[in-house]
Amino acid sequence: MSNGIIITPGLADGALRRPERSPDVLQQARAFQAERRAARVRSLVAITVMGLAFLTIAGQLVRLAMQGQTEQRISVSAPLATAFARPDIIDRQGRLMASDIVMHSLVADPHVVLDQKEIADKLAMVLPDLNKKSVLNAIADKTKRFAWIRRRLSDAEAQRVHDLGLPGLDFRPELRRSYPLGRSAGHILGSVNIDNKGLQGIERYLDERQRVEPVHGPSLSAQPPLRLSLDVAVQHAVEEELAKAMQRYSAAAAVGLIMDVNTGEIIAAASLPGLDPIITDEHFDKDRIDRLAGGTYELGSVFKTITAALAFEGGIAPATTLDVRQPLEVEGYLIRDLHPAGRPLTVSEIFLKSSNVGAAMLALHDGRQRQQAFLEKLGLTTPLATEAGTVAPASLPESWGDIETVTISYGHGLAVAPLQFAAASAALINGGYRVKPTFLRKSSRTEKRTQRVIAPETSQFIRRLLRENVASKTGTGWRADVTGLEVGGKTGTAEIPGIGGYKAKSVIASFLGAFPMDKPRYLTLVSLFEPTGTKKTDGRITASRNAAPTTGRIISRVSPLLGFLPD
Amino acid sequence: MRILLTLAVAMTLLSAFTLYAVNYDTRDLAAKVRDREKAIKAARRDIAILKTDRAHLARPDRIARHARELGLAPAKRGQFDTYRSSNPFGRAMTVRSEDKE
Repeated sequence: MSNGIIITPGLADGALRRPERSPDVLQQARAFQAERRAARVRSLVAITVMGLAFLTIAGQLVRLAMQGQTEQRISVSAPLATAFARPDIIDRQGRLMASDIVMHSLVADPHVVLDQKEIADKLAMVLPDLNKKSVLNAIADKTKRFAWIRRRLSDAEAQRVHDLGLPGLDFRPELRRSYPLGRSAGHILGSVNIDNKGLQGIERYLDERQRVEPVHGPSLSAQPPLRLSLDVAVQHAVEEELAKAMQRYSAAAAVGLIMDVNTGEIIAAASLPGLDPIITDEHFDKDRIDRLAGGTYELGSVFKTITAALAFEGGIAPATTLDVRQPLEVEGYLIRDLHPAGRPLTVSEIFLKSSNVGAAMLALHDGRQRQQAFLEKLGLTTPLATEAGTVAPASLPESWGDIETVTISYGHGLAVAPLQFAAASAALINGGYRVKPTFLRKSSRTEKRTQRVIAPETSQFIRRLLRENVASKTGTGWRADVTGLEVGGKTGTAEIPGIGGYKAKSVIASFLGAFPMDKPRYLTLVSLFEPTGTKKTDGRITASRNAAPTTGRIISRVSPLLGFLPD
Repeated sequence: MRILLTLAVAMTLLSAFTLYAVNYDTRDLAAKVRDREKAIKAARRDIAILKTDRAHLARPDRIARHARELGLAPAKRGQFDTYRSSNPFGRAMTVRSEDKE
């Protein structure tokens, strides 16, 4: 219709030819055309504007769809508490020992609080142990927008506070380390601070190994759990028997250890009085120190096991006889036996009768240098650390002469941590290989024993002596015997050093044990600190009367748990 | 040309509305994912508490107390016997190699 053809109204079809136009008509036609052109321009502008508008909207939609829109979040003025998400700690059987849980902490916005006294009064009603004064102090400054009132409430406590409906109070979820077994293995697990950061023990080991994730807010750790070598059932049995022994013999403290002699895995390690990982005050209580690894003690005649091993390594046979009838004088000191034998004794008998004179003669025969080298080879005088922390270094004599060589032969003059002594003794029992004590679960099949420290024959002699000391009624350890299970061991009663010498009635009674002696798998060490004589022990405080029977009770209780069923 | 323009405008409008719808669907989906993540987090928190509760209830001192109430005790000598010595039928019960064939 358009195509540039102009149909002039009033003209018939086919009459299109150049008309004779009057000036008026021409003017009208020009005005009409101008108007049309203006209308077209206006339409084009309108379409372009509309098109651009649509394109803008479409473009915006595409941008939104492509980029998404960041969510509007309300930022809080209070500082976000940085916490640490920790992995679970489990025992060798997979039973939970420590885990993170989310708890609610009570916070306040002092600016919003209407009645400070009302808040303090009502909170004290539902949280009886809350200090009103500290609450009032916390919310006193109205210019502040954040104040902690109480960290980590239980669900029931949080509900009670919530039910009060007090303005200005709020809850903030936080991570809290939980120890479902309470005090059990408290020294080993260690502790964390208020922000869940490891301070001691295995908890600190987790931090050192970067197994802990710093988090903002209550996020649980996605890390796999840490599997310990401990067995919670065995641990409990050891702790319970030690607690009974402390009561039975009125001892001030007790330690107990069960270790795999081949892998160095510690199956149970207890030091009583124990401590609760979440009660901070107990960690600073000197009576609750970890005596197993954190303190060094002279352990007495259990050291004769090492003296005998050194003698056997030096070529002395178990049947070699020594004249121990007379006290031995060394550097002006007189070494004597509590119950002199009255006849020459073989090396085996020296061990079984726990003769100090005999041990002294063996040590002097070997000499100071060989003794020092042997103790170092066993790892008794070198620094030791486990995953639970550094073991207290051995207290060596200031000068190491003949008298020190003699006293060390029967466990005096050299103070070591019981854990370090147990680790050294493992090599004497396991066939001669040094082991490193560990609190982590190991696969015994993958473990290769390489560091031989004594000959297999020496280990064999020591095993026989340990077994005979328990199996024979003439031995000092017969009270540790367990029917149906071959137990071996050595007693040791060491007087505790005091001002100006040793305290006569104050001793550490220890028993180093192992089972089953035909092929030893586990080593035990029990030490009772300052036991007292009872009617049952005929008033005696020697290890044969207290530490040995305690070891027997522990072994009879834990052996089924460790897979040894009585015959 | 006009048809093309009309189609282009129509396509633009259609795309715009589709993108608008997709955008809102995405937001809905993101909100749903957030909700699910929240629910997972809450469930993990509950599981952590339940796990701790279970470990607390299954702690050896509590189990031992209940076991003693039931008269249970650690295994002792005499409670175990070999099949051969306890078999009342003696050798008659032993499977011989020819019996297997």
